[in-house]
Order: sequence, then C-alpha cells, then structure tokens
Amino acid sequence: MVMASEDEVSLLVIVVDVNPIWWGQQANREPQFTLSKCLDAVMVMGNSHLVMTRTNKLAIIASHCQESHFLYPCKLWKSGDGHGDDNASTSGDGKYELLSVANDFIAEEIKNLMSRTEVKGNQTDTLLAGSLAKALCYIHRVAKELEAGQEIKSRILVVKAAEDCALQYMNFMNVIFAAQKQSILIDACVLDSDSGLLQQACDITGGLYLKIPQKIALAQYLLWVFLPDSDQRSQLVLPPPVHVDYRAACFCHRNLIEIGYVCSVCLSIFCNFSPICTT
Amino acid sequence: MDEEPERAKRWEGGYERTWEILKEDESGSLKATVEEILFQAKRKRVFESHGQVRLGMMRHLYVVIDTSRTMEDQDLKPNRLTSTLKLVEYFVEEYFDQNPISQVGIITTKNKRAEKLTDLAGNPKKHIDALKKAKDSTCGGEPSLYNSLSLAMQTLKHMPGHSSREVLIIFSSLTTCDPANIYELVKTLKALKIRVSVIGLSAEVRVCTVLTRETGGSYHVILDESHFRELLMFHVKPPPATTTSECSLIRMGFPQHTIASLSDQDAKPSFSQAHLDSTSGGPGLSMGGYFCPQCQAKYTELPVECKVCGLTLVSAPHLARSFHHLFPLEAFQESPLLLHHRERFCEACQGELKDKSVFTCLSCSSVFCVECDLFIHDTLHCCPSCIHSRSAP
Repeated sequence: MVMASEDEVSLLVIVVDVNPIWWGQQANREPQFTLSKCLDAVMVMGNSHLVMTRTNKLAIIASHCQESHFLYPCKLWKSGDGHGDDNASTSGDGKYELLSVANDFIAEEIKNLMSRTEVKGNQTDTLLAGSLAKALCYIHRVAKELEAGQEIKSRILVVKAAEDCALQYMNFMNVIFAAQKQSILIDACVLDSDSGLLQQACDITGGLYLKIPQKIALAQYLLWVFLPDSDQRSQLVLPPPVHVDYRAACFCHRNLIEIGYVCSVCLSIFCNFSPICTT
Repeated sequence: MDEEPERAKRWEGGYERTWEILKEDESGSLKATVEEILFQAKRKRVFESHGQVRLGMMRHLYVVIDTSRTMEDQDLKPNRLTSTLKLVEYFVEEYFDQNPISQVGIITTKNKRAEKLTDLAGNPKKHIDALKKAKDSTCGGEPSLYNSLSLAMQTLKHMPGHSSREVLIIFSSLTTCDPANIYELVKTLKALKIRVSVIGLSAEVRVCTVLTRETGGSYHVILDESHFRELLMFHVKPPPATTTSECSLIRMGFPQHTIASLSDQDAKPSFSQAHLDSTSGGPGLSMGGYFCPQCQAKYTELPVECKVCGLTLVSAPHLARSFHHLFPLEAFQESPLLLHHRERFCEACQGELKDKSVFTCLSCSSVFCVECDLFIHDTLHCCPSCIHSRSAP
C-alpha cells in the first residue's frame, strides 16, 4: 500500500444534496432509506477518510434549496473553543475523539438546517452550483493556510438525490472549469436519476461518476469507489467511465444537434442558418 | 511629427520622491508599510469591465519571436531566449484555456529572415513541443520586422472576416533590417485589419510605436521578468472586436465521443486522421474517438478542423469556456473592516475576516475576504452567493 508522507494533505469535501422535497417523497417511496440513513453513510465515509492518514482533512456541505450550509467544520467551533469541550468530552465507546466530535456536529447542524428553512413555492431545485462554488473557495483558503513544505490534494464528492436544474448550466460550467484549473477532482454518486451536468463535471475534471443501483448500500459504494484517492485508483478495478453526451443543444428548439451554426459574437448555437442572430 | 499624442515620458516628468512612500511608525519598524504594499500588490489587477462591447472570440494570433543576437543577453536569467520561450509556452497554455476555439502560430526571425516555427493550429501540444525544441537553437544576426510581418500577413489575409487577426511581436533588438519601406507595409496591414502589438525587451523603438498605433495594438517595454509575464497575460483576454468585422454564423460540428471496448462485436480499430501525418508517437490505431458527423473521419482530440471535409469540430464545453468573457463578473466594492458590523466571517470560505478591507458583492450584499475576491474574479467568474438565487443570465 502506498504510504502518504507527512507533507501531503488530502482534503475531501463532501457535498450532500438535502433537498427536502425529494427526501420527503423518498420517505414515502422507500421508508427504509431516509435522509438520516444517507447521512449515516456519509459520516462513515467522512470518518474513514479522516482515519486513513493523520493529515487528512474533511469538510461537509449540505446543499439545500435556498442556501448551502457547512455542516463540518462549523464556524462556531473555531471562535468559541469552549463550546465543544463541554458536551463532547468523552464518547462512551472509546471512539477517536475527532470522529465523535465531527459526527455530533454534523447531526446537530443538519437538524438545525432542516428545521429552520422553509421552502417557498417555486424554489424546488437543489442549488448544487452554489455549493460547489463555496467548496472551491474553502479549498482555496485551506491551500493558502498550509505550512511551508506541505502539498495538498483535494477532491469533491457530490451525493446527489434530486434532478438537475437546467438554469444553472452556465454557473455549473464556470465551477467545473475552475475546478479543472486547480486540479480538483469532482466525483459524483447519484442516487436516483442520471445527471448530465455531473457526468460532464466528472469527465472534465477526471473524477468518477456512479449511479447506485441500490440506495440502501450507499455506505458500501462510497467506501469502495470513492474513498481511495486518485493515485490509488489506477491500481483498483473501478466502475468504467460512462459515455458522456457532449452534443450541444440548439437555442431555438433545445434539440441535441450534431452540426450547428455558431454565432461568432455571442456563441449561441442554432440549427438552421439565418442571417440575424437573435441573442 | 506633431500628430503624435503628447506623452510625458518618465524621464521627462521627473521621478517622484519615492522614499516618501515608506513611513515608519513609533518603534521605527516598517511593518505597516510593507503590509500595505503587499496588500496593494494583491489588488493590483485592474478589473476592466468592457460591458456591452463585442469581443473577438475566434482569434487567429501569430507570435513573432525575435531570435537575433541580442537575445543572448543575460539580463533575463539564464538568457533572454530561454526566458522568453518558457513564458511563451505558458502563454500558449493560458491562451487555449481562455480561447478554446482560437488558433496560434509561431514565427521566428533572425539573420534578416523570418521562418515559421509552427503553422496556425488549435492544438497546444504541437506549439509547446516546437518551443521546447527551439531552446537549443542559436541566435544570430539581425531581426527583420518586414519579413516576419509579411510572412504572417500571407496567412492571415485569407482568414474569414468574423475572426480577429492579430500579431504579437516580442522584439528585443533595437534595429531591424527590411528589404522595403515598412511604412507601406503598415498601411497594408491597416487595410487588412490586422492588429499588431509589440512587447519590447530592450527599449522603445519608434518604428514599433508607429506600427502599433496605426494598427490599433499596444506597445510596452518590460521592466523585469514578472512584468514580462504580466504583459503577455494581458494578451490572453479577447480584445474588443473592431466595428467592421463581420459577424456571421459559422458552421460547426459536435461529434460524439465513442468508447468502444474489445468485447464489442462491432468495434473496429481505426486510424485517427490527425496521426497520419505525424512522425512521432505510436501507430495511432485506437478503438474509440470522435467521428466527424459529416464525413465520419476519426480524431482523437478536439477542437480540430476536419482534414477531409473542412468542418470545425468542437465540443460544447469548449464554447462554454468563453462564456465568462461575455458576461463578466462585476468588481466587488471595497470597504474597510472597521465599518463592517455583521458577523466577521467570509461567506465563501467560512474563514474569519482578518484583512484590512472586505469586499461586498453589489447584487447580493454578501461579504468576502481578499483571497476569495481574487479567486472569484480570476478563476471562478461567478459570485458564490448570487448563484444561489434563481435567475440565470
């Protein structure tokens, strides 16, 4: 097994889709797999990552309809250190203290988040692009705060439940290109319906895309496929890359086209030639 | 002579008293001033928002590198030529990152002649390999501006009207040896709408000033290596398009990427068109690839122009890369930390706000720290809080 040296920090950011509408419907469809089970699996994954090497770091973001919230690390934790020490001083089962503190924080924060946000009428889509943007800013800050001589390798794991939001295409693409420039991998673990945007993200940044056939086994899939980092992945037998449809959609009919006409000024794509660009 | 604009040169205006910038505090330390200078250096990027000006997205750029005797000078370490070639490699990579559907060609000039190092192409690898090989070449003789410009012009004049035609000259010598009147050539360049910019390595040369002024380009002389890099990066962004360039719809193909494995019964290995002419590399036989929708010729990488039918092949993410030039992000408003009364943490990276000033996005009023502001404007191109709202541009 390849041993990472003391100088290499591996940062994993997990973005969990907590769209309350999708999870609410899910509770009716399959009562044995609910949001709390999903978060249990994510906590197992996070704990495993922290245990792999002493220098590993973790961050978890919950992606909601109206905001993205950092479940871990919690900002209150930094400013008031006394707060954490009173409650979670010893966990009864002898668990490594960092892990128990992390799990407690995650549970606490997600309860607060779900209880305080009210979903307004037409806002039903998960704001995934925003969460990824915040994740990138966080990674950028951690990379700046490293000590001299340390290198960082980061990746983002997205656990997606609800469908794509087509309005976010451009922001999503900006985020993907920023991640590619910073050499940050984006992995995707999709619970329900395939997502073209995430397939493109994984293809462009070099990450893995997987649609899980059985949601109950989420923890197993996370640990098997997404826990090893990019160096180790070349030595493992992992699910093959999916075929990504890179055809563009024309602006007039939204059909996928193979040959189209591109305006030289605004780069909008049309399927038929016309002398005037409507954009 | 007098139609030149009045420009006060530094030696004409006199130096400001530069020592007055440094101020000591009570204990005699310069720490505050040094921090201020560092902070200003971080914020040195000037965010020029072009607003609704059309930008030339499809660019055909020739880079002319002067390889004459003066390039062996060692004022840039290890010598000017090596330093220039390294920076041009970096420039080519950044250029294709920001302008994925554009093309670049490289010309070198020495011994009073000009020759093409690489043709106009959309693939960065070829240019980078050629630049690496050019490191061993010798420098000698004098450069020739006329010959290099006419060589570039021969290809650029056939380019379609909707793309921008540019030449960037890296000029280190103070002389040029031309077979004919260069001012006539400048007139021709202006008529063909070719924009020439020059980066000088030694000193300001009058013929370059006239050349760039007439064709609408820019002329700068470097101070040191980091200034050189900044000037080069300035040319990566798409320039405003000239008002007379035609805009038209260009026909392009969006091929599918097929990945065939050996277990497929119909899969046949085939040669890639791009590898037929190349002498280096393997046999070029591969299973999957991109097939041109018009003529079914195979290519391994995009973007490329199909050799059989002439259709430009791109993929949708390539076009998406240029979108942020069309919808640039506005600069954030800077305000001092002391006036900020809400919670002191940056909304993007969740860190504490420790710097002297904070930055506020004008549309969503969220607060960011200096590092996030730089990161957002240089790399991310969208405000993390604004994209939490519904509206798409």
